[in-house]
Parts: sequence; C-alpha cells; structure tokens
Amino acid sequence: MSQRKTFLLLLPAGVLLVAFLAIPYVSVFISAFREPGQGTPYGEGYTIANFSRILGDWFYVKQALNTMLIGAVTTLATLVIGLPVAFQLARPDLKLRGLFYGIVLSPLLVGIVIRSYGWTILLGNNGVINRTLREWGWIDGPLPLMYNTLGIVIALTHVFLPFMILPIMSAVQGIDPSVSSAARSLGAKRPTVIRRVLLPLAMPGIQSGCILVFVLALSSYVTPALIGGLRVKTTAVTVVDAMIDTFQWPFGAALALTLSVLGGGSVLIFARLTRMKWK
Amino acid sequence: MGRNVLNIYCLAVYTFLLAPIFVVVGASFNAGEFLTFPPQGLSLRWYFTFFENEVFLRAIGTSLWIAAVATFFSVIIGTMAAIHYVNFAGRYKEAVRVAALSPLLLPEILTAIALLFFLYDIGIGTTTMFGLLVGHVLMTLPFVFMNVSASLEAYDTDWSMAARSLGARPFTRFRRIMLPLIKPGMIGGALFSFVISFDIFTISLLLKSIGTATLPIQLFDYLKTNYTPEAAAVSTLSIVATITVVVIVEKVIGLKMHKF
Repeated sequence: MSQRKTFLLLLPAGVLLVAFLAIPYVSVFISAFREPGQGTPYGEGYTIANFSRILGDWFYVKQALNTMLIGAVTTLATLVIGLPVAFQLARPDLKLRGLFYGIVLSPLLVGIVIRSYGWTILLGNNGVINRTLREWGWIDGPLPLMYNTLGIVIALTHVFLPFMILPIMSAVQGIDPSVSSAARSLGAKRPTVIRRVLLPLAMPGIQSGCILVFVLALSSYVTPALIGGLRVKTTAVTVVDAMIDTFQWPFGAALALTLSVLGGGSVLIFARLTRMKWK
Repeated sequence: MGRNVLNIYCLAVYTFLLAPIFVVVGASFNAGEFLTFPPQGLSLRWYFTFFENEVFLRAIGTSLWIAAVATFFSVIIGTMAAIHYVNFAGRYKEAVRVAALSPLLLPEILTAIALLFFLYDIGIGTTTMFGLLVGHVLMTLPFVFMNVSASLEAYDTDWSMAARSLGARPFTRFRRIMLPLIKPGMIGGALFSFVISFDIFTISLLLKSIGTATLPIQLFDYLKTNYTPEAAAVSTLSIVATITVVVIVEKVIGLKMHKF
C-alpha cells in the first residue's frame, strides 16, 4: 500500500486526538488566564489574577502541598505493599497463579465509586474496623480513620495497588532466571541477589508503577471526596467544586493546571533521581 | 522459611484487596434500615427497593448506552490506529504510540476541564450527549490500541505475503488473514473499553448534560446524602454483572493484556 493510503488508517484517531484533546488543552491553557465572567463561564479580558490568587493564598498552597504528600505517601505504600506480591506473581511455578492474578485485577473490575464506598463502610466511626476493635475492648473511642488524610491514603493505596503490581510483575517476568542462579552459584546470599540483581533489573517496572500511581493519586477525585468528606479536601476536589458548585471556570482551570504542573515536575525530578531511561 | 513469610504476606495483601468488595456485598443483604456490617439479619429488601427506583435504573441504562456507543467507535478507531502503528508507522512508531496512549497519560481532571471549555467555545456545551461520548471514546481508545497492537505484534507478515503471492487482494487479505488473527485483541480491547467506560467518573461528572447521569455519578450523588444499604445492592449487582461478562469472555476467547 502506498504511504498515503496507509496514512488513512491513522486519520480517525488523529482527528479525534487533535480536535478533542490537543486543541482543548491549548484552549484550557488560555482560559486559565481569563477574567471571571458575570453569568457566563468566563469574561472577555485576560488576567493573571487566577494564578496570583492561588499562589498568594496559604489555603491553596497548603492544600496543594498536602495533595502532593498524599500522592507521595500513597505511591510509597503501594510500592512497599505491592513489590513482594509482584515478585510472587511473577514466579511461573506458583500454584493458583490465575486466582491470585484475578484478585490483583479485581479492584479494576469493581467501579472506583464502589471501592471507595467499601472503605467508608470499613473506616467510619461506626465502621467495621472501629466496632470490631471496640468489641474486643482494645479501644474506648473510635480511631479517627475517616475524614482525614490517613483515611484517604489507605483508600487510595487500595484503589491504585494494581497499577503498581502489574508493571513490576511484567518487568520481573522478563528477567532470565539463570541470572539469579548465576549470582547464587558465585556465592551471593539470597538478600544480596534480591538487592544487587533482581531489584535493579525490575527497576523499569518500579519506575513506571510509581509514576502511574503518583499521577493517578494526584488527580483522583472520587476517593478523596468520599473519604475526606467536607473535612479534608484535596486540590482535585477543590477544582471540581470551583467548576461545578461555584461556577468559577477560569479559576478551576488555573488550579487544575497548577496541580498538573506540580505533578509533572515531580515526575521529572523522580525520573532524574532514579536515572530513568524513557522508553 | 523465607517462602512462607512471603506467602503469608501476600495472603494479607490479597485480603486487603478484597476486603472493601466483600464488605459492600455483605452490606447489601442487610435487613436493617442502616448500613451496618456484619448485617443485622439477612434480606433482599434493598434489592427490591432498587428495582423500584427509577433513578438508578435510568442511570444504568445511560451507562450501558454510553459504554456501548463509545466502545463501538473506540474499537474501530483504535484498531485502525493499531494496524498503522504496527505495520506502517516506521520511524514515527514511538510518536504514534505516545499519541494513542496520551489520554491515559494526561490527568483526567484536566482533560475533563479542557473538553468542557472547548465544547462551550464551539457552542455545543453540555446540552447534548456529544461531549460525554467524545470523552468516553478518548479515555477508552488507549485500551483498544494496547490490546490490538499486542495481538498484531504476534502476527507474522509472512502470512500476508503468502496470501498476496497467491493472488489475494488487499481487502481479502485483511478479511481472511489479519482480521481472524487480531479478533481476540479486538474483543479484549472492546471488553476493557466497556468496563473502563462504565467506571469513568471525572469526565462524566463535568461533561454530563441534564438527565444523563451515569451509574457512578448517580451512586456518588446518592452516597453523599444517604446511608441506606440500597447503594450496596446496586454496587453488588454491578460487580456481579462485570465479573460475569469478564469470566465469560475469558473462557471463550482467553484474555491477554500483554503490555501495561
């Protein structure tokens, strides 16, 4: 087939991505500098007031820092919890491997609203965890598990754990088993093999898992909204509030852009620090 | 010894992964007025309440409709792009891949806001379902692309050459050789696309028009003000439906997600 004809295959996707992704991203960037409108989503003129309002108000700065902290802690928690599971799942001789793999995938099949809802049942003041602990006589009052940063981190860790496990698992599966046998035969102990051989080889999977979870956690809305309630709000929740409840579109756009730039910057720093090779 | 520690640790993680799902399912059979777990007596009353609740039924209808239409377009557009990517993209291969996966790489909340501004600017706004559909096609496209290109990578171009030397025209080669080989990838992609579309939240929240709340939106709205186990009943039915479909497709064609 000629070059021109094969190009037609790409045309629908190209049109979709340019018209409904690239152009809207340009327009949202411009719209973040619009003046607030009177009865319309935005006004005529241009201003940097939306950004100076964010950077000049400790409330928004603190909230953004807290959101970044939630993202970072969630990433770390999914890594610590997920790494051994990814290594176990990558073993070809594992019994019931299909079942365990299904369990890891299961959260993805259950809607994000439903999963967050499940956590509200577990974490609430009258929830499963608090009531069980009280019945066992371990605590007097309820532990503060919901409506705070801790609850959001717990639920987000659950929600995004598969996104950490799956990339690491596929990286580990790509490691030639003879590499670690070679290390063992040269006298390396098991912890040394893990630290010096397996972890470095699994690094690409670890890096993509970390970036994926961090970015998803930063921009997630449902889980922080349901678990944090009105008490703790992340930047993403405030963005949606600004867009829907108070109808301040340019401000919402500016806030979302600020969060995305912070997130993108952190990813670049992370990639530089871990000497990531982009693929 | 080390093996056992690892196994116990992994079992704990699996429990953690399943716990919220079990709790929701358990709470749905609650006989009481309020959400408690373990349930106070078993009953199906909340399922009956749900079947009489038009709001939820309409939301499920909307979700199914949007997921079906979005999947239809996603599969066509994504399959075409994947065929180009694997066979013809040449030195632009990496650029095509990044572009096709970009809806997944960009923060969903910013994409939703960008689309909202854009729809308003071109005068459509959220008065029709157009924006909602476009958003769903965008978000599901990467999954079709990943699945189909994975099955295409395994496709040997010699087959096509052999057919060509035997006199098969391009369309016949596509229909008789390539299509049967990439069909599992397309079905897998369609399934992923459907499940993902059913779960899209932020895009649906910002782009929905009046009366087109999808199931996740309706459920979220309900949960903000209500604590009855009805939401658990709705959730349980949705979990059962999804798992049934996935298991059937898995048994019939076998799902493979090669790249993540």
